[in-house]
Amino acid sequence: MNSDENNILVYKDRLQSIYKDLNNNHSYEFNLSVSNGYTVTSRSSEVENIEYHEDMALNVTVYNEYKKGSASTNNLSSENILKTIQKAENISQNTQPDECQGLPESNYTNKDWEDLGIYYPRELEVEDVIEITKSCEAEAFKTDKRISNSEGSTFSFSKNAHMIMNTNGAYGTHSSTDYSLSCIALAEENKLMERDYWYSSTRDFLKLEEGSSIGRKAAERVLSRLGAKTLKTRVCPVLFSPEMSASIISNFLSAISGSAIYKKSSFLVDKINEKIFPDFVNIQEEPLLSNGPATRPYDSEGVLTTDKKIIEDGILQNYLLDTYSSRKLKMDCTGNGVLTNITMGSNKPLVTDVISTLENGIYITDMMGSGANTLTGDYSRGAFGYLVENGEIQYPVTEITVASNLSQMFQNIIAIGDDVDLRNRIRTGSLLIDNITIGGTN
Amino acid sequence: MNYIQNLILDNYDLTTEKLEGILSVACPKNIDFADLYFQYINSEGWQLEDGIVKSGSSNIDSGVGIRSVAGDKSGFAYSNNFNYENLISAAKTSKCIVKSGQSRKIQLGVTQEIRKLYESVSPLDFMKDDIKVKFLKDIDKYIRGKDDRVEQVILSLAGVYDSILVLNTDGIKAFDDRPLVRFSVMVILKVGNRRERGSSGGGGRYSYDQIIGTKFAYEFADEAIRQAAVNLEAEDGKAGSMTVVLGPGWPGVLLHEAIGHGLEGDFNRKKTSAFSDLIGKQVASSQCTIVDDGTISKRRGSLSVDDEGCETKRNTLIENGILKGYMQDKINAKLMNTNPTGNGRRESYACLPMPRMTNTFMLPGQFNPNEIIESVKDGIYAVNFSGGQVDITNGQFVFTASEAYLIENGKVTKPIKGMTLIGNGPEVLKKVSMVGNDLKLDDGVGTCGKDGQSVPVGVGQPTLKIDEITVGGTQV
Repeated sequence: MNSDENNILVYKDRLQSIYKDLNNNHSYEFNLSVSNGYTVTSRSSEVENIEYHEDMALNVTVYNEYKKGSASTNNLSSENILKTIQKAENISQNTQPDECQGLPESNYTNKDWEDLGIYYPRELEVEDVIEITKSCEAEAFKTDKRISNSEGSTFSFSKNAHMIMNTNGAYGTHSSTDYSLSCIALAEENKLMERDYWYSSTRDFLKLEEGSSIGRKAAERVLSRLGAKTLKTRVCPVLFSPEMSASIISNFLSAISGSAIYKKSSFLVDKINEKIFPDFVNIQEEPLLSNGPATRPYDSEGVLTTDKKIIEDGILQNYLLDTYSSRKLKMDCTGNGVLTNITMGSNKPLVTDVISTLENGIYITDMMGSGANTLTGDYSRGAFGYLVENGEIQYPVTEITVASNLSQMFQNIIAIGDDVDLRNRIRTGSLLIDNITIGGTN
Repeated sequence: MNYIQNLILDNYDLTTEKLEGILSVACPKNIDFADLYFQYINSEGWQLEDGIVKSGSSNIDSGVGIRSVAGDKSGFAYSNNFNYENLISAAKTSKCIVKSGQSRKIQLGVTQEIRKLYESVSPLDFMKDDIKVKFLKDIDKYIRGKDDRVEQVILSLAGVYDSILVLNTDGIKAFDDRPLVRFSVMVILKVGNRRERGSSGGGGRYSYDQIIGTKFAYEFADEAIRQAAVNLEAEDGKAGSMTVVLGPGWPGVLLHEAIGHGLEGDFNRKKTSAFSDLIGKQVASSQCTIVDDGTISKRRGSLSVDDEGCETKRNTLIENGILKGYMQDKINAKLMNTNPTGNGRRESYACLPMPRMTNTFMLPGQFNPNEIIESVKDGIYAVNFSGGQVDITNGQFVFTASEAYLIENGKVTKPIKGMTLIGNGPEVLKKVSMVGNDLKLDDGVGTCGKDGQSVPVGVGQPTLKIDEITVGGTQV
């Protein structure tokens, strides 16, 4: 396999050599991504799929007097790059002028970024990877005889490099690696089947969770789903697992993105300096976390990313703005052409035993469907979870809905758990939220 | 025209002998089957917001996927570079799924004559860019002129011309050229502090002339305004189990989630689906007959041949409530000892094919839609949905209504806020007690995701009544 770092530098020279052919009155941005790797799946103790990938994409953006055009290609010959630029030019001749459009003016990246703690390349033998997946799946089967089937265990590796250049002088490159190992186990009891999974995802192979541990957790999770019952409709406190809590916080982040705000398609329009969460809640962005799943030194426009407070003492401090949305809203750009690592913090101690803090309610570990409306905040999704009484899990519950409004859900957060999920770009523990409507039987 | 012959095969001197050579490297004697999938995708998109067409994009993606299959094992590699040496090297990677065996000679057949369900014309070349831009501006002006509550209009127009060539060790050589266009409208209306959205749109495997300059574009605009206006009046709905009447057309997303995915061959071969081993059994009320039909001319979910070179078909999945068959690709059909059904699809050359739906819908029943609504004393009438999801193993599925009303004493009354409905696939269709005579297919906007791969699909159904399903409102 080719070395992607070398590739990136080859393309740097190639792109710079065509600068002379560009129209001096226009400005240009080049975004190049290169990625290669493989995915190996084993199922029923045998290797099932081995897939290799090698991707390249160059995206060209042209600003022609406030008119914008973009074009992309995966063929990076000099001839084809010129053709792609021409296509972007053609498009920019037909789009309409918008004075907010254009390259960012300041805070550019200007270097090759290294030592970000996200690039740990490692040559692994395919045979060894197959063994890792086989033993991961085997551990799931070993856990309990009710583990009846599996969708297998999958290992994937990807090595990525990115480069940005623009004709105002921005230049940046960075590389990263991603390793992941997962297992999907099925369990059967009384002719009813359930599935569940567990995974580990890291930048460094050495930090990946052991396959045996992943297989066992997948098995334990699916076993705990067996014998699920329906539940009577009620309003009660709900504890959302860290994975589900991250999805709720991601709804918040979508609602404060620059594009949602300037299009007025968010329930959080005009809410800067207003109280969105309870006093004890802080949310911050940390773009340069070592081993961070979303670590990025610069955003999609080449603007440097920065640490920032999004929520402090419950109050909204910032929208997430790229150059265009910041100009539309007449605010400062926050380098959020990408969203990096987000951490949910608390002014009071994180709760250690989340289930006993819930005491009586529902613990939700899985949700389905697209029922979060970030225009109105209305929230209604399908869910799976557990009935909790007197601080103890009683039994699994299925075929229920979870409904409220995101504004109320944020205000009704009672506690944050210390069970933080470090695999997710949104680092949060379980959220305990009061007053949720659970739909079930009558 | 097909870009594969001109831009790839001729350009890189990939003669029949060379293609046979690549296939024979991918398919030594201990491999059952190998295929090559050449693809050249040319796509574009135009977006209007805040009253101006502020951006457009044009994209080209091309490559070849090489797959080697032995039993239930697949090796897969792809390349964006069409040099013969690169393709041989990708074929060597692909065959590594099993320990190497002796080589064998592969002979390709003549190019397959295929039944064409759409024209080989690229929408991208069909119309000048300034006409597309003017069209979007006209629709924006129309919407803003029609309702003074309009706060935002977002329009998009997208076109794709996807040329493919499938070659395999059975000797198949099939070209297909797949045009696809889509027009989307999103309108936000505002009254006081309340904002609500309405969305609409449509498309299919044809050129822009089926949308630009037609009445359909204006109908989509009207529909988006109407939906947003309804939602401005919507009140909080109840939570719990109740009778639900689904409108015709797009609410067929119910079928896609509740039974469609569960009937895909891979899950049933592995016995991970709630529908495994249920062929011949009653899985729906006797009023339900459901088909997956990839052969409807110019529909978004249709294909002349699937991505393994098999002609698509009209497959009956459920007939009068009895489960008749699964949707298959080549590998799963072979392992289950049955025939491929023309459902082998892939997002692109960079992904492995698997069994996928095309256009999935329920055939019409005997009831007048009004009769169905009049039969409900207390329930919900849901006519538009924003999407759905299923767990194929336990059969739990959800779909989320974006336009719904109360039914009180046989009459549709107040609009209620969007909500998610949750049910169990093998159970819910047994609770279908009335099927309308008003079958309608959706307008051509559906996209289905599975294992990270997205493909265009269609759904449809007549008005139908589900006696009992759990509804996720906020009121108790």
